[in-house]
Amino acid sequence: MRRASGFARAPRHLEVWQRNGAMRFYHNLTISQKQIVWAWAFLALPVLFYVVIRFYPTANAFVLSFQEWNLLGARSFAGFDNYVRLYNDPVFWKVFRNTFMYLILGTPISLVLSFVIAYHLDKVRFMHGTIRALYFLPFMTSAVAMAWVWRWFYQPVPIGVFNNFLASFGFSQIQFLSSTTNALPSVLAPAIWAGLGFQVIIFMAGLRAIPQSYYEAARIDGVSSWTVLWEITIPLLKPTIVFLVVFSSIGFLRIFDQVYNMTTNNPGGPLNSTKPLVLLIYDTAFNGFNMGYAAAQTVVLFTILLIVSLIQLRILRDR
Amino acid sequence: MATLSLRNLVKTYGKVEVLHGISLDVADGEFVVFVGPSGCGKSTTLRMIAGLEEVSGGEIRIGERLVNDLEPKDRDIAMVFQNYAIYPHMSVRKNIGFGLRTAKMPKADKEKRIEEVAAILGMGDLLERRPNQLSGGQRQRVAIGRAMVRDPAVFLFDEPLSNLDAQLRTQMRLEIKKLHQRVGNTIIFVTHDQVEAMTMADRIVIMKDGYIQQVGTPLEVYHKPANTFVAQFIGAPSMNMLPGTWTGGGVRLADGLGIELPRRNATEGAEVVLGLRPDDLLVTDRKGLFSGTVNIVEPLGADTLVYVGVNGHEVIAKASGREPPQPGQTVELTADAGEMHLFDAASGEALP
Repeated sequence: MRRASGFARAPRHLEVWQRNGAMRFYHNLTISQKQIVWAWAFLALPVLFYVVIRFYPTANAFVLSFQEWNLLGARSFAGFDNYVRLYNDPVFWKVFRNTFMYLILGTPISLVLSFVIAYHLDKVRFMHGTIRALYFLPFMTSAVAMAWVWRWFYQPVPIGVFNNFLASFGFSQIQFLSSTTNALPSVLAPAIWAGLGFQVIIFMAGLRAIPQSYYEAARIDGVSSWTVLWEITIPLLKPTIVFLVVFSSIGFLRIFDQVYNMTTNNPGGPLNSTKPLVLLIYDTAFNGFNMGYAAAQTVVLFTILLIVSLIQLRILRDR
Repeated sequence: MATLSLRNLVKTYGKVEVLHGISLDVADGEFVVFVGPSGCGKSTTLRMIAGLEEVSGGEIRIGERLVNDLEPKDRDIAMVFQNYAIYPHMSVRKNIGFGLRTAKMPKADKEKRIEEVAAILGMGDLLERRPNQLSGGQRQRVAIGRAMVRDPAVFLFDEPLSNLDAQLRTQMRLEIKKLHQRVGNTIIFVTHDQVEAMTMADRIVIMKDGYIQQVGTPLEVYHKPANTFVAQFIGAPSMNMLPGTWTGGGVRLADGLGIELPRRNATEGAEVVLGLRPDDLLVTDRKGLFSGTVNIVEPLGADTLVYVGVNGHEVIAKASGREPPQPGQTVELTADAGEMHLFDAASGEALP
């Protein structure tokens, strides 16, 4: 009985709704129009957030790159001065080279390493989960803590693990962080190590997605495991590889935490040999208070990221 | 081309034995279909013949040669997989040619062989296509081409038609059968579909729970099923099974109804099961074996399946397609004594 009376009341509610102008408008929409209304209702907050927190500052940075500003005083237009200054700044070109060194060394090394690990780990059944967790652990660890631990590893005898190890076999000491040639690879190593776990997981997911029968068919055809790797596994992993190349390239182009924390007493040192673009921007903006110049550097970084990503997507895209 | 023989083939996974010593001889050029419900061991057997699964016990011989410990590539076999296993990033030509990668023959000969196979399968003009530009049936043909190009002694098919829609399946069934008549290689074909088994096979191997239930030609397994499992598995709809006791001159069904039968190899008073195929149990105007009330009618066009309630249980019978009985109607059912099957109730074995 209660249910019946409930049904009887519902139309009256609807009538009240329909009398209201906005509700009548909504009521008259088609189903797909209603879905659009709801989609925008849910999207409104993130869109607003993105506009205020992302797009507005980005646009502002573009404008700022043509201005002079010390963070407190008035802004004044400077035309292309910031870019001209950047072009003539030897430190910028040094930093530019460093950034590309991080990219050119970091991306291929980390990809090859993570693929080799994933390829073999995929075949291991013994303690599979534990080993995978061990590889993933660095990815979850704070970059700051990790950088400091590695910094400690790199110390000379008797503190540093690596040098102690070398010394116990009678090898000479290696200047890891204090040499202008060794510092960049030394900083890069923990950065690669930190990202490895993530890449291994993604590669393994990609490997798992390849049907087992492809390998069985190849076994029946009797082709070598080398052929299987190069002609079946890697081509089929292409979407995974594209994703990881783009993802890790962006990561290495934006490298900051490891460098900053491993060279705190002289950020980006020695002699700017480890300084990446992001650290230069940070330095210009918050130590030099040269906001316009920093904005110009940011625009350059943005452009590099955009171009590198587009080139990679183009090269690796499926025909 | 070659014979294939299995001797007491056993497969265990850990402590679980899934294949309990099966033996089978396949003649040169024979088309043998393994059929059974999922988990019966038919695919495992096929994969053991292919060399994809290790042999836990027994022997596999291909053309007199013991192949137990040979790598798949050395067994002179080719296999067509359920999901075709054709590589999406390679053209049809490369896919078919993949089977020749390790073959020691000049490149020109390989190309010629690929063209030949493509011509046989009617896809000569599709060689440069990618698999994603092909229809399901064409992909299936590429998979068969990949196997054919190797010209193996034995073809192995692992449920190759189950990913196709019903119409295409019927068509491919016919094509594979024609192909067999043309190339004449020995074929082992695994399926769970008894219609595929009946239509394609020279001989059918019916398996269940890791045992072979019966081996025979399609007509043998249909007309002389070895046990109740085979009787119900082969033929659709399933055979009606009516429990009763053997009286010496016939069967007394559980509900007291007596049905006369020619002499059978059974002792008087034994518990038996009477099997009647729906195709043989016909609705008649005259006095039949027994009568019942029609519950459901399924018109098939040519004839009509009638679900008839007889003393509390339901049997499926066949009626004419033109004037089918209506639900609720009482009908007389009749069957030819020669088409009645008798099984031992306890063991399920046929009583000839």
